[in-house]
Amino acid sequence: MMNLYPTKKFRFPITAECISPDVFQDKKIEEIRRLTVWEGNKQRILGELFKVKESESETKMVVINIHGDVSRVRRIGAYMTSGQIVIYGNAGMHLGEEMEGGEIIVRGNVGCWAGSMMKGGKIEIYGNAGNYLGAPYRGVNKGMRGGEIVVHGNVGNEAGAYMRRGVIKVYGNAGQFAGLRMQNGTIYVQKDCEARVGACMKDGKIIVSGFLESVLPTFTIEGLKEKVKIENDETAEGPFYLFLGDTAEDGKGKLYVSKTKNPHLNRYEKLL
Amino acid sequence: MRTVKHVTCPVCGCLCDDLELTIKDEKVVKVKNGCALCKAKFLGYSKHRVLKPLVRKNGRFFEVSYEEAVSRAAEILTEANYPLLYGWSMTSCEAVSAGIELAEEIGGVIDTTSTLCHGPSTLGIQDVGISSATLGQVRHRADLIVYWGSNPLIAHPRHMERYTIFRKGRFQKEKRKLIVVDVRKTETAETADIFLQIKPNMDYEVLQALRALIRDQELDVDEVAGIPTERLEEIADTMVECRFGALFFGSGLTMTRGKNRNIDAVLSLVSDLNKLTKFIAMPMRGHFNVTGADMILTWQTGYPYAVDFSLGYPRYNPGETSAVDILLREESDAALVVASDPVASLPRKAAEHLAENPLIVVDPHMSATARMADVVLPSTFVGIESGGTAYRMDHVPLPLKKIVEPPEGILSDEEILRIILSEVKRKKAEQMENP
Amino acid sequence: MKMELIIRNGFVFDPINGVKGEKMDIAVRDGKIVERVNERKALEIDASGMLVMPGGVDIHCHIAGSEVNAGRLLRPEDHFKYSERKTATTRSGSGHSVPSTFTTGYRYSRMGYTTIMNPAMPPLMAKHTHKELNDTPMVDKGSFPLLGDWWFVLEHLSNGRIEECARYVAWLMTSTKGYAVKIVNPGGVEAWGFGHNVHSLDEQVPNFNITPREIIRGLCKVNKLLNLPHTIHVHTNNLGKPGNYTTTLETMKCVEDLAADDKPVIHITHCQFSAFKGSDWKTLRSGAEEIARYVNNHSHVTLDMGQVVFTDTTTMTADAPFQYTLHELTGSKWTNQDVETETSVGIVPFRYRRKSYVHAMQWSIGLELALLIKDPWKIFLTTDHPNAGPFTAYPRIISWLMSRRAREATMKKINRRAQSKSLLPSITRELDFYEIAVMTRAGQAKALGLKDKGHLGVGADADIAVYKINPEELDPSRDYKIVRKAFRRAAYTVKGGEIVARNGEILKHVKGATLWLKVKTSQQTKVNEDLKRRFRDYWTVEYENYPVSENSLDISHPINVEAKI
Repeated sequence: MMNLYPTKKFRFPITAECISPDVFQDKKIEEIRRLTVWEGNKQRILGELFKVKESESETKMVVINIHGDVSRVRRIGAYMTSGQIVIYGNAGMHLGEEMEGGEIIVRGNVGCWAGSMMKGGKIEIYGNAGNYLGAPYRGVNKGMRGGEIVVHGNVGNEAGAYMRRGVIKVYGNAGQFAGLRMQNGTIYVQKDCEARVGACMKDGKIIVSGFLESVLPTFTIEGLKEKVKIENDETAEGPFYLFLGDTAEDGKGKLYVSKTKNPHLNRYEKLL
Repeated sequence: MRTVKHVTCPVCGCLCDDLELTIKDEKVVKVKNGCALCKAKFLGYSKHRVLKPLVRKNGRFFEVSYEEAVSRAAEILTEANYPLLYGWSMTSCEAVSAGIELAEEIGGVIDTTSTLCHGPSTLGIQDVGISSATLGQVRHRADLIVYWGSNPLIAHPRHMERYTIFRKGRFQKEKRKLIVVDVRKTETAETADIFLQIKPNMDYEVLQALRALIRDQELDVDEVAGIPTERLEEIADTMVECRFGALFFGSGLTMTRGKNRNIDAVLSLVSDLNKLTKFIAMPMRGHFNVTGADMILTWQTGYPYAVDFSLGYPRYNPGETSAVDILLREESDAALVVASDPVASLPRKAAEHLAENPLIVVDPHMSATARMADVVLPSTFVGIESGGTAYRMDHVPLPLKKIVEPPEGILSDEEILRIILSEVKRKKAEQMENP
Repeated sequence: MKMELIIRNGFVFDPINGVKGEKMDIAVRDGKIVERVNERKALEIDASGMLVMPGGVDIHCHIAGSEVNAGRLLRPEDHFKYSERKTATTRSGSGHSVPSTFTTGYRYSRMGYTTIMNPAMPPLMAKHTHKELNDTPMVDKGSFPLLGDWWFVLEHLSNGRIEECARYVAWLMTSTKGYAVKIVNPGGVEAWGFGHNVHSLDEQVPNFNITPREIIRGLCKVNKLLNLPHTIHVHTNNLGKPGNYTTTLETMKCVEDLAADDKPVIHITHCQFSAFKGSDWKTLRSGAEEIARYVNNHSHVTLDMGQVVFTDTTTMTADAPFQYTLHELTGSKWTNQDVETETSVGIVPFRYRRKSYVHAMQWSIGLELALLIKDPWKIFLTTDHPNAGPFTAYPRIISWLMSRRAREATMKKINRRAQSKSLLPSITRELDFYEIAVMTRAGQAKALGLKDKGHLGVGADADIAVYKINPEELDPSRDYKIVRKAFRRAAYTVKGGEIVARNGEILKHVKGATLWLKVKTSQQTKVNEDLKRRFRDYWTVEYENYPVSENSLDISHPINVEAKI
């Protein structure tokens, strides 16, 4: 088990995709200290920016613990396929970008693009996440393709954009455009959600259990549901309005919105 | 007295190139064909000039030579860990090219004012593409013009006269139909055949509704953003029934709630319309060469703005590598501002961070940003005192002319950047020798 | 500065001078090939056991200009995993299928290429194209202005005014610093101005009293009147549509009578896209046999392949109606840019998949064309970069052309139905290094009329590629992977007499010249005056601001052309 302690409060963006179980695997601590990272435009080694300490571990799995604020450190866990990263603090952008397996746990907040283009594995965030959770890089039309992201706090805009598979669960609030252009998969928002949820969605499922600011005019009411399955053994209790959309793209996505939390939507009932 | 013809106007993205200027004693005294903005620039540009390089010492500006100012600037930039090079929309392509090389040399971030106006348009294009055309194509063929969140009569005064409403084209001799969509009745809206006044921050909903309507989808709602659905159906029909439609959009769409997603929607609408008729879209670019800055950055680096060279190669991710976001996160430790006045236009907190760190300004004026600077390098007015190339909003490149001599000894942006670049290279070579 | 260089003991392939792998030395002074140099002073390259060829020439690759840049802007996802770091000698860059300009130059140079032709320049955007070419290092370059739908061409030709048309073309060629007449889906691009297209050589172009056949014939005559070094360069009507091979045959036939002295009068570009048989995508078959038969029996045509490689790429052509069809077919994002009175451009990202029947057939058709056309001087290696794949795939294509085994290895991985419909298994031909040298440099230079390029005779430009292949020891049929590797990274690339790249490393950033035609006709002043008078009726810029000035080219290389009129 490797433990990383930031040696200072970082001012410049740190790019450190080497902080990944795949990279640490089979490396001696000295080699790990010598891994390349960037601090602003200066090339450094990991050992300059972090105190690296090894500790006993019960599992064979590679585990990296980061103790302290790494909110300026980007790309932690990018491309990882196995092992575990636990961050006791806030983490920077692109956390777990394109990860394929393993687990990342953050006991704080994370920046934008966490789990971007993720293919597998799990990210659990106990604080808030920024914009573009699970969403792809600019111009890419494949978002999350598998795995699971759980956020116990709030998330920013465009969570789950271009999602093709997988699950995002948000136990707090979500910003605008959650599930933008999603084609499949599930997004669950336990609390409130800003407007434009499901914009341009083709398929897939979005569940809003709290207040939803507004439903896009291009969604049509389909019915009422008592409860909705989120995944395996987890269900959200309703009743929910079920909308279909986005008709602007001839989409057949399902948008479930809590009936009790959204009295402003009861005008749709006359269409049922 | 002499006259210069076919002059390109260095004010807005229309880049009108038919100006006729009368020069007397190396001053422009008369402007023919220009709009009010153009005249104001040519007749009034020489006020508030900086005529000597300035370096701040102990809080006060001192007049110095270019050599000393450049040396100080190069020192700041060479030492910086995450420098920002910002502006670029009111200078020549040649100056931007020098700026990109400098940014690469010092491992900095180069960003343009796009970040504050049509950056979201670029993001929209990168998601869905854009069906567009040059302005002459619109002039010759369009029978329907739409201005959305843009007020050309004020911001691009000759746009309607030269390219759209008031100009005849080969296949369009009749008057064209004009639709204006805005949140208030603008000057342009006054002249429209159809004015759609929508509730603020609801453009996205209106655009998506139109997209559904042109697909013959039925809406479950009676109104969208304050517009009855039947009215939107009429608008959708008008769009479908035209022979060639052209939609121009401005910062009323790019900078309001939804930002790049508004553009995503407007470009998707226009793209969809091509199934049924011919339709194009175009951003109404503001500063005269913001398009050119985008173009050069794109061909030299692959990316149009917000390009980060800190890792030795270009990276692009607005939100991460864009100037405003970098400043708001307080990451940069030095800045070079060229041909822009960000202190006057950036969010206050971002401007504060800019001013707190070493700041170099290249500008003909004593701008608000220059007043906060540590080094001020006075430059010529591009398109008046020095030439180059600029790009019209529809990507047509046009020559900028040198009309009059600059004040004695004043260098152009390009020249200044080139000497900073060679000074940076010299300093770096020196450091390599004596680390 | 007297720069002398001698390349010793290589196996030289110089088809224009009839050299077929003889062991000899090549001497270079001041950027030119010379008889001999002072051997004691000259810099020496030991090329023993290596191939020595003229620098590669590419007759058709979209590497610069407004449409390429629109493609770059559209596709950050094409670039972000393909970055090149700045080094002491090179600038940084990015991009897989639409690389940034500096990177483009370096990548060509690494493969031993030294001259490239950018085949689609919207005349109004010529300044842009040349600015990008200025920033494309390591290679000499030229551009073809798009003329097949220019209103002046349509008007003059519909009135039978060939000579007047020629003078307008001469003005435009010189004004835009162009190198050849490019015709793309003639008439169809104009029709696209209102969202339409044309579908046969004899369909009337909307709003103009002319047909595609008349445009092609007219410009072919213009091309001859002007004495231009290259032929008309044609992207056929109906490109990319099943059944289009008949249009291609008709296009070649329609200028048959204009040929004389066995000289080519038409170049059909990226022919693969125009060699489809069948009535729809399901019944798509190869039309390569029919086209090859025609080409084998006629001498007035040259072609280039437009070879498909299986990768993610970006399609971009002035054939905007075709690009729109592609957008509808794939649902991918789409950019379009119409250019007033002249042309248009469309861009759609595209992935060629092995398992797709159509894509696999396209792959096969390109190779069938190259192998069934007997004379390598008639068909050249291209991918219509980036339309059928990026130019960096050339070494792979060379290995397919040289090795049946290489073809079979790929064949095994493609769509089953395509395997059964492909003509490739019946083709045993394997090209040799001489033929490859023709298809990748000598033939292309000859077709372009570039007298100092594509060969190693005395007086030629000293643009030379050395590859780590010993033709006496290596069997390219068996060792195709070694061939591929060697062509990917030239052991040496010499540009203008200097060693600019070695084993894939760029040693020196050199600019490279812009080649353009200075066309002289009689009565040109009158034409220019007429143009000036009518200019504002056609364009939205001023006559005076339209031309590209010679001093805006970093290194200008004008080629004087005396027209017959």
